[in-house]
Amino acid sequence: MNALGLVGLTVAARRRRLFALVAFGGLFLAAAIAARLLLRDEHGHVDLDTVFVVGGYPLASAMLLMGWVLGRYPLIATVVLLAGLFSHDRSASYARLYAVRPTSLLGVYAIRFAALAGAAFLLSAVLMPVFDLLLLGTWAGPATLVLILAYVLAYGGLMALFSVWTGVDVWLTVFLAIFAIVWNALDVAGVLVVPPGMRDVISFVLPPQAALLRLEEAFAGIEPIPWDAFLHVAGYGIVMLTLAALSFARREI
Amino acid sequence: MIELRGVTKRYAVGPAPGRPPRVVEALRDVDLVIPEGRVSAVVGPNGAGKSTLFGVLLGFVFPTEGEVRIRGDSPRRYMRRHGAAFLPERFQLPGEWTVRATLRALCRLEGLRGREVSVRADAALARLGLDDHAAKPLSTLSRGLLQRVGIAQALIGMRELVVLDEPTNGLDPLWRIRFRAIVEELRDNGRTVLLASHDLAEVERLADRVVLLEGGTVVDILELRGENAEPPASRTYRLELASPVAAITEIFPTAVHLDEEGVAAYRVEAGDATELSARLAALLAAGGILESIRPEVEALEARVQRVLAEGGGRS
Repeated sequence: MNALGLVGLTVAARRRRLFALVAFGGLFLAAAIAARLLLRDEHGHVDLDTVFVVGGYPLASAMLLMGWVLGRYPLIATVVLLAGLFSHDRSASYARLYAVRPTSLLGVYAIRFAALAGAAFLLSAVLMPVFDLLLLGTWAGPATLVLILAYVLAYGGLMALFSVWTGVDVWLTVFLAIFAIVWNALDVAGVLVVPPGMRDVISFVLPPQAALLRLEEAFAGIEPIPWDAFLHVAGYGIVMLTLAALSFARREI
Repeated sequence: MIELRGVTKRYAVGPAPGRPPRVVEALRDVDLVIPEGRVSAVVGPNGAGKSTLFGVLLGFVFPTEGEVRIRGDSPRRYMRRHGAAFLPERFQLPGEWTVRATLRALCRLEGLRGREVSVRADAALARLGLDDHAAKPLSTLSRGLLQRVGIAQALIGMRELVVLDEPTNGLDPLWRIRFRAIVEELRDNGRTVLLASHDLAEVERLADRVVLLEGGTVVDILELRGENAEPPASRTYRLELASPVAAITEIFPTAVHLDEEGVAAYRVEAGDATELSARLAALLAAGGILESIRPEVEALEARVQRVLAEGGGRS
């Protein structure tokens, strides 16, 4: 594919974002190393009870918050790396310079998407297991990679679609991610005051937070991977990517 | 052949502080045929629709009404099959990319393979005098150098259709002259060149044909070269003599004495170089001592001014 020549340059153009993500990940690793050195139990692991005894609620809360944010690192990496995938190229007129070449413009952006989504996956696939190994002395196994892949597919698809539609792709995706988290939490708690039909439609259109949570639980509890949940998330991502491709053909550059 | 039939393009412009949303008609019912193998220029004031015309022609934007055909294909289909050389008005690519890496990547998008990629990229670097800057990131280049990278990337694919929007923007005088040689080479090779420029003197030097756009409408087409070329309109010159010559109004009937202290300066007109030479010979024979002569207004500029003042020759 002719567009492969752009992969290296695509990654080079995101160099600063990659460094920022590596530095952000480094903070988690530094925290894990510090916790391991200062708070490990007789088995060499960091136990939350020990953390509570040493630092009380503030330290325990900080550790839990860190774990929660780390669980969303694939989402963060995906959004950061894919931000402006097409919308920025369009506003800066880069896309016009690719569009006049005798090659498929959709192919160019498909390959760029794959390169950046792949980078988000790789970064997360290194950071999350290493963090677990440092803090807990073990890792969650393939469930980690499945969880990362699920996030990259779902939010990568969403980012691609919004990037074709609008220049505010990041804001829309972040808004929907937060909305989906809150919506799912209210739904699980049974406090949503929305007619059941409408609730189902909204839950279907929003990022599949319930399925992602099931994958996270399998990851956190080192349980068997719920493949039906993964297929739900992957299907959502593929539908978003298909819509992005269909919109792309009709989009002015 | 490139054909635009009844092309209208309207944009919806969003609201801004103090301004409601509105619809802008960038092109209005444009009928235009761009012949192959010639250099055509599109000129017009800012906002005339030049860039939109190029956008429609290259398939970047879709006409609201009408149709564009390039050798019978829709623009997007033509681009996918044949590609085009294109230099946008403000060329830019990610600043982190180096000049050489950019040209090589674009060579690959042009469908080149293996050694051919580096050969073609290096040739483009040499042609545009960019060898010494090949390893520099684009963000570190001056405006003129960046414009040369833009020209290099446009010409790298050796395409039949060449579209250049304000190609001499930022170029120094030396590279303007070299750019003219590049356009002449493209013309000699039978390429279809379409360029937009505000520099009418440059357009007059380069183009065979000038499409005059105003308010999204083609107001006139001027043939400068070729079998349909119109006879050149009279040119105006500033003439300075060592001392006044009484016979000047007989030799140059439209001569106007310019009231400038210490100089016998006149504005005179002559249709072409032969007529000018004959009249100057007569002036010298009548005792005139020539100190200087230079064109005061370029013919194309005068014609464009006249057409715009008359409200368009075709409308």
